[in-house]
Amino acid sequence: MAFKWRKWNNILHRDLGYLAFGLTLIYAISGVAVNHVGDWNPNYKIIQRETTISPRSPGKILSQDEIQDILRELNVSGELNNVYYPSPEEVHLFLEGHTIELHLASGQVYEEFVRERPLLYPMNYLHLNHPKEIWTWMADIYAVVLGILAITGLFILRGPKGITGRGAWLTGLGLLIPLIFLIIYL
Amino acid sequence: MKTRYHITLILLIIGGLYGKELVFGEPLSQTEVTPVSTILAAPDDYVGKIVKVRGPVVDVCANRGCWMDIGGDEPFQKITIKVEDGEMIFPLTAKGHTAIAEGKVEKLHWTRDEVLEIKKHQAEEQGIEFDPNDPSIKERTIYRIRGIGAVIEE
Repeated sequence: MAFKWRKWNNILHRDLGYLAFGLTLIYAISGVAVNHVGDWNPNYKIIQRETTISPRSPGKILSQDEIQDILRELNVSGELNNVYYPSPEEVHLFLEGHTIELHLASGQVYEEFVRERPLLYPMNYLHLNHPKEIWTWMADIYAVVLGILAITGLFILRGPKGITGRGAWLTGLGLLIPLIFLIIYL
Repeated sequence: MKTRYHITLILLIIGGLYGKELVFGEPLSQTEVTPVSTILAAPDDYVGKIVKVRGPVVDVCANRGCWMDIGGDEPFQKITIKVEDGEMIFPLTAKGHTAIAEGKVEKLHWTRDEVLEIKKHQAEEQGIEFDPNDPSIKERTIYRIRGIGAVIEE
C-alpha cells in the first residue's frame, strides 16, 4: 500500500494550524502594535495632567507633613513609594503608576499616570520575548511550526488551483514582494 | 471542597507571580553596594569597573525600556543604567520602585549636536515639545552604567 503523503500533509497542516492559532493571533496583533512604536506606546497608556498648587520654598528637603499637604492639595490618595529631588527647585513624588513632578517655587505640577494596556501588554510581552528562558524555546518551536505550515500549505490542493497552477503564481508573488522591498531599501 | 482547593491554588500561583520582584539580565554578583554619590564624586576612578547601585527608579525609557535612571543617596543626583535594546526591558511602571542594578561604569563625551539629537529623541519619546534653544543643550561628558543585571523590588 502506497504512502498517502498528501493525506498526511493535510493532517499535519490542519492540526498544526489549530495549535498555532492562538499564538499566531497574538503575534499578528502585537506585530501591528509594535510596528508603530514611533507613533504610540504599545505597552502603556500614559495620561498626562498639568495643574497648579500653592508654591513652596525651594532648596530644602520637604518633611513628611509637607509632602502629605501636597498630596492633599492634589486630592491624591494612595501609598507614597518614593520621593526624589532632581534639583533644588523640583520634587518628584512616586505613587503606584502615578508620578507627580512639582516645581516648588511656582507650584506648577505635572502628573503622569501609567497603566499597562490590558491585552496588548501581555501580548507584546510574549511577542518580544521578555520572559526569555523557556519561552525562547517555545517561540523557536512556534517559528518551526510556522515554517511547516507554510510548506505543507503549498501542497494541500492538487490541480489548477494547487501549486502547479494558480498556487505557483501567488507563491511567486509572495516571494517577490519582500525581494522588491529589499532591492529598494538595501 | 475540591473547587475551593483549586481556587486557592490558582490564587496562590497568581499571587506568587505578581508579588515577586522583577529580575533582569545576569544575576547580581557584587557583594557591596556603591552609593551613587560615591561614584559621582570621583567618576573617573570607577570607569571600566563593575559596580552595584541601589535607589529609587526615577525615570524609565518610555518606548523601549532600554534605560532607567536611579536616584542617588543624596538629593539632586541620579545615574543612568543603559542596556541594549531588547536585552533587558525595564517597565515604565517601575518608576518609584527601588532598584538594585549592576554594570560597568562608562564615560561618554557628547558634542552639542549629539546632545541635541538625544534631547529631540527624548522629547518625542515623552510626547513633549522640543525646544532646540534649551540652554541645557551643550557639549558634555556623562557617566553611566552599562547594565549587566538588575532587580526591581515590589
